[in-house]
Amino acid sequence: MRTTDHVIALLVEVLQLGDRGKGLDELTPLLGALPELDSMSVAAVIGALEERFGIIVEDEELSAEIFATVGSLAAFVDQKLTA
Amino acid sequence: MFIEGRSGRLFAVFYPPSVLDPNIPKRALLCLPPFAEEMNRARRMAALLARELASRATGVLLLDTYGTGDSAGDFAEARWEIWRDDATTALDWLRDRGYRRRALLGLRLGACLALEVAGRVRPEIERVVLWQPVVTGSVHLNQFLRIRVAAGLGAGDPSRETVKALRGRLAAGEIVEVAGYALAPQLAAAIDRLRLDELGVAATMPIDWLEVAGGPTDSLPPAAETAAKRWRDTRVQVAVKMIRGEPFWTIEKTTIVSALIDATCELFEGGRA
Repeated sequence: MRTTDHVIALLVEVLQLGDRGKGLDELTPLLGALPELDSMSVAAVIGALEERFGIIVEDEELSAEIFATVGSLAAFVDQKLTA
Repeated sequence: MFIEGRSGRLFAVFYPPSVLDPNIPKRALLCLPPFAEEMNRARRMAALLARELASRATGVLLLDTYGTGDSAGDFAEARWEIWRDDATTALDWLRDRGYRRRALLGLRLGACLALEVAGRVRPEIERVVLWQPVVTGSVHLNQFLRIRVAAGLGAGDPSRETVKALRGRLAAGEIVEVAGYALAPQLAAAIDRLRLDELGVAATMPIDWLEVAGGPTDSLPPAAETAAKRWRDTRVQVAVKMIRGEPFWTIEKTTIVSALIDATCELFEGGRA
């Protein structure tokens, strides 16, 4: 499974997107576009990413840019995995 | 109803067993809640479990610890030590009403509280059930503080807060507010010190670890697996069960994972310990 697929599955689960998850792809905008993505759920998504991928997200890395799209979030995870 | 706790009145809901077999000693389960907003989001699941178990001859006591829910005290006055006392008070309440067979269930941070309290009461707790236990307190605290950082995302403020800065303020003795919860430095420090593996390493009663997962992996995450393994290596009786479902404690919309309720009820089937 590609990172993007893992990330989509995680978003569907944590944000409880249900069937809307089927429409997610790399280009889907996140922050500001998905109403479910409030500060509590952003924190929950980061926490879930950390647990699932075994990565640690540092303060300095947290930016609105990471959450721009599904693709940018997956790219961030990939970058952490290969660091 | 209210139970008189050492620091103030504690709101609790008791679901008495609907059937009582005179040949089986009365049994009850005390449920200890998760931290902050997770507690609100998990309420429905706790109530459903309570109703289900009570219909199967195990009484269930749902407790709001001091400074949370409808109990006395502000959140800023909550302390881990007070919560420990509250759990013991609630267990005494059950014992005084004839429930000498008592079990504990802790959800998320409540799981740490349950393990910490389990060894301290007599008669001994029969079993401890952990729902999605918090494995490392400092990670849990980071995730909580991150909610406040996340609230500032996208605002384009270059001096925005960091988890590190918020921890600095707590270390300096400041109360830090996150999503409407006024976190006191003493409570933050106590949570920071919590390690699930440490808390359960001397457990003399069976531990049931129920973990909810909806994703592609069907085993405990690495840190959780390490904790469970440490217990097995030190001869603690721990059984892990993976449950398919969504993380209801983080989801605002009421979410039910009935498989978790069923799995928990199975643990108390037939009056077995």
